[in-house]
Amino acid sequence: MKKAILLLIVLTVLFPLVANGGGDKAASAKEELSIIWWGSQNRHDRTIKAIELYMEKNPNVEVTYEFAGWTDYWTKTTTMAAGGMLPDVMQQDYARLAEWQEKNLLTALDPYIKDGTIDLSNVVDSAIAGGRINGELYGLNLGMNSECFVLDVDAFEKAGIPLPPQNWTWDQFESIARELHDKLGIYGMGDGMLGEQHWKTIYLSNGEYAYNDAGTDVGYTDESLFADYSEMIVNMQNDGVIPNRELELAKYGISIETKGMVSKESAMEYFWSNQLTALTSAAGEGRHFYMTHKPRLTADGPAANYLKPSMFFSISAQTENAAGAAKFINYFTNDLDVNKILAAERGVPISSAIRAGIKDLMGPAQIESFNYIDRVAQDNSPLPNPDPVGHSDIVNNVYNPMYLDPMCYGVITPQEAVHTLTVEAKKILAKNK
Amino acid sequence: MKIKKHSTRESIDGYLFILPWLIGFLGLNLIPMVATLYLGFTDFDMLSSPEFTGLANFIRMFTDDVRYWASVKATLYFAFVSVPVRLVFALFVAMMLHNNRRGTHFYRALYYAPSVVGSSVAVAVMWREIFGPNGLFNAILAKVHLPADTVWLGDPRFAIWTLILLVVWQFGSPMLIFLAGLKQIPTDLYESSSIDGAGPVRQFFKITLPMLTPIFLFNLVMQMITGFTAFTQSFIVTNGKGTPLDTTNFYALYLYSRAFESFQMGYGSAMAIVLLIAVALFTGLIFKSSPMWVHYESE
Amino acid sequence: MVEVNRSKRTRNTIIYHVLVIGIGIFMIYPILWLGGSSLKPDGEIWTRMSAIFPLKPTLQHYVDGWKGFGNISFAVFYKNTAIISVVTTLALVFSSAFIAYGFARLHFPMKKFWFACMLATLMLPLQIQLIPQYIMFSKLHWVNSFKPIIIPSFFGRAFFIFMIVQFIRGVPRSLDEAAEIDGCNRFKTFFTIIMPLCTPAMITAAIFAFYWSWGEFLMPLIYLNKPKLYTISLALRSFSDPSGQTDWGAIYAMSFLSLLPVFVIFIALQKYLIEGISTEGLKG
Repeated sequence: MKKAILLLIVLTVLFPLVANGGGDKAASAKEELSIIWWGSQNRHDRTIKAIELYMEKNPNVEVTYEFAGWTDYWTKTTTMAAGGMLPDVMQQDYARLAEWQEKNLLTALDPYIKDGTIDLSNVVDSAIAGGRINGELYGLNLGMNSECFVLDVDAFEKAGIPLPPQNWTWDQFESIARELHDKLGIYGMGDGMLGEQHWKTIYLSNGEYAYNDAGTDVGYTDESLFADYSEMIVNMQNDGVIPNRELELAKYGISIETKGMVSKESAMEYFWSNQLTALTSAAGEGRHFYMTHKPRLTADGPAANYLKPSMFFSISAQTENAAGAAKFINYFTNDLDVNKILAAERGVPISSAIRAGIKDLMGPAQIESFNYIDRVAQDNSPLPNPDPVGHSDIVNNVYNPMYLDPMCYGVITPQEAVHTLTVEAKKILAKNK
Repeated sequence: MKIKKHSTRESIDGYLFILPWLIGFLGLNLIPMVATLYLGFTDFDMLSSPEFTGLANFIRMFTDDVRYWASVKATLYFAFVSVPVRLVFALFVAMMLHNNRRGTHFYRALYYAPSVVGSSVAVAVMWREIFGPNGLFNAILAKVHLPADTVWLGDPRFAIWTLILLVVWQFGSPMLIFLAGLKQIPTDLYESSSIDGAGPVRQFFKITLPMLTPIFLFNLVMQMITGFTAFTQSFIVTNGKGTPLDTTNFYALYLYSRAFESFQMGYGSAMAIVLLIAVALFTGLIFKSSPMWVHYESE
Repeated sequence: MVEVNRSKRTRNTIIYHVLVIGIGIFMIYPILWLGGSSLKPDGEIWTRMSAIFPLKPTLQHYVDGWKGFGNISFAVFYKNTAIISVVTTLALVFSSAFIAYGFARLHFPMKKFWFACMLATLMLPLQIQLIPQYIMFSKLHWVNSFKPIIIPSFFGRAFFIFMIVQFIRGVPRSLDEAAEIDGCNRFKTFFTIIMPLCTPAMITAAIFAFYWSWGEFLMPLIYLNKPKLYTISLALRSFSDPSGQTDWGAIYAMSFLSLLPVFVIFIALQKYLIEGISTEGLKG
């Protein structure tokens, strides 16, 4: 027994030395490329297959990759960036792009577009404009996306309510939601109606935006527009037309699978268009969904929708192989074989040739979201600038704790809440001047 | 002030024994710790180099951050409620499972089960399910004809209690340490006191409790430290948001969110310094009081 | 008289078992729920969420989950996690016991200071030290290997050191004094007298060390940069994406599987806690 323990001790002491030896630094002349992304199992599987195909087509390239869930991804990449060890290609998000660019962590893609490494001949400019900061492109859009209202067609039929027109207003929305609630006894609308996205688009459909173009101030002057909206939602919550904040936190707002629409507890639901596939598969067979625009302030006013890049690929500024990274991004954007593997899981592809090439492979839910994106492309507001530096600070430390919660729990009125939000957001944005 | 005399031989041996720790501390822990202490006095967004700002972070923390005080309140509430309850429960179960009856092995596994599940993603879903509007907890309340329509996780009055319950329910680690402590009490003490006619209650107060005080001290200090630095429960159950109304926004969670989600590593570090000082003072108090109630067989 | 005593004892035994099992049901509920949910077909996971037993049990989630990501299956994650956990557990338990003896029994200058430093390492949240630590480890070229996770365990950990210190302080000093009179030096005293007496403490430490390193996720997240090196906890967290589709069945199945080793270790080790160590024999 004692000998065994002694042996174990010796082994453990020796282990790090042994483990060290078998390192995989096989000196190879291969070009090295590293990639990181966030997502779930589905995306990991597809992306890994795409990378393997890339290595098959380019035998001189050795791609290393890693992935994580959303929250972990940012903890990890931030730490890597601080240590100067970012991978060559990283997935980026619209809400963070400006922040990373401002800290000089990203490389501009324009030189690689100019020299033809990245081919954008089948891409309209509006599809990539979202990655542009101060006139330079820092992330290439991986899929087009837009907010949408998903309507349960069967519930509308049962209640005898016609589907609303594309340019419906918030007033129409309110009366439809209340009518659905009264007639069917379920929620007229699901949760998530007070997220910061609505703050942005209320002003978008007034020809403004939550932030000004330079990101140094809020982009609106009339607080009452958002206060009126907030009040409408809070009233609907209090009347049981929409799940209240308590239920949103405890039940509905956890995952796509817990949304009221999945369990037929709500007749309308707010989503991003690329989530329709997930919704459809969670809801099961025999359901009929219709995607439509977000309501706007006035029927003949600007749309509340814009085409948003779902996520980007960016080249890190810490890379030693920017050209190889650009080549990989081009492959991801323009190669038909790889897009058949990826199957538009990241959103509707930006290249028209790819869209046409993969359309036959898509399921009904994906075709519906492709068609929806087409409709939004015809009727939208111009894409606002990427969220300014300080956006995460505003959402985490102002929007949720000072506007949303106190208002929903009745601590302050919607008017006070919007005023606080505006004042505090101004303070944070002023630092960008 | 009495100056202790150390024999040279003993001092050398002492340092030899703690040498592995000393190497690890000086080589691996000290640099990050000192760096954190320094960063507390800077404005550091992690991605560009830190700028020295003196006491600015601390001033902002104490005078201009409502969320900070909410997090202090949530943490103190959590620590001062959950730690005593958890310790008493752990001791109770340890006493219950400290015997050689049949099935004890099985029972220990049973009682350790919640602690094994730990902090996996699955726990978050399960906890939300148990305390959900139509969850198990409300179902039980309905059975005994109590009001059963509370949305526990969404109600600012109760949300923190679900986290307290979660941590109390995962009482396995202090329980196991108590159990090991009970095992170490020399059996002859009980035998001789039985001969003197002492009953189980008297034995508990005269032998078990005093003999267990060193272990109790350990559990108290450790549970206090983990209570003050609590993070995981709220991180997984509220998705790191500390909702509703910041009532579950634990200090360490808020610190993490400031540092990593709002890119304010300097501010986060400053919060960590205040935490360190507060916990150290508190731990120091417990240690100072320990000669009055801790009984060491060896001294 | 004997009969009465016996029936009284039987009654007590029954009350004991009923009580223990009664409370135990609440304890085991999570495991049952998780195991049951991992067997529910997709349709049942959310519609029959609070049910423990599935209507149509299926093993499909185990098949799907085990596949892992791309061509890296859970077998790889298990292997990685097992290597890390076994090595760190052994290293932590022995190094911590060794260090604890120094703090518990010997007097030397600055002891209190070092002890306070040791506790201080527990009071500064690890998350905040992540960046300086990462920069340090990357300068040492330890990133992308198990080294940042495993090597620190050879230097003990405050929790275990402090715990074993408290146990050693509960051991009568007469025992080591007797050994020293017999001519043992301090190292021999530690290995032959103190360590055997601290078995319950060391077993307890081993159970925790194993469980903690098995579930540890922040260090692997930061330091392991290849899916081939990922641990189970890291892989589990990579399953879900709040804004996309998540295969909850696979998460439940793999979470459930990942508990088994921890449980087995617990059951295997806890039986050593039953052999109450009597100091009586040693006193003579």
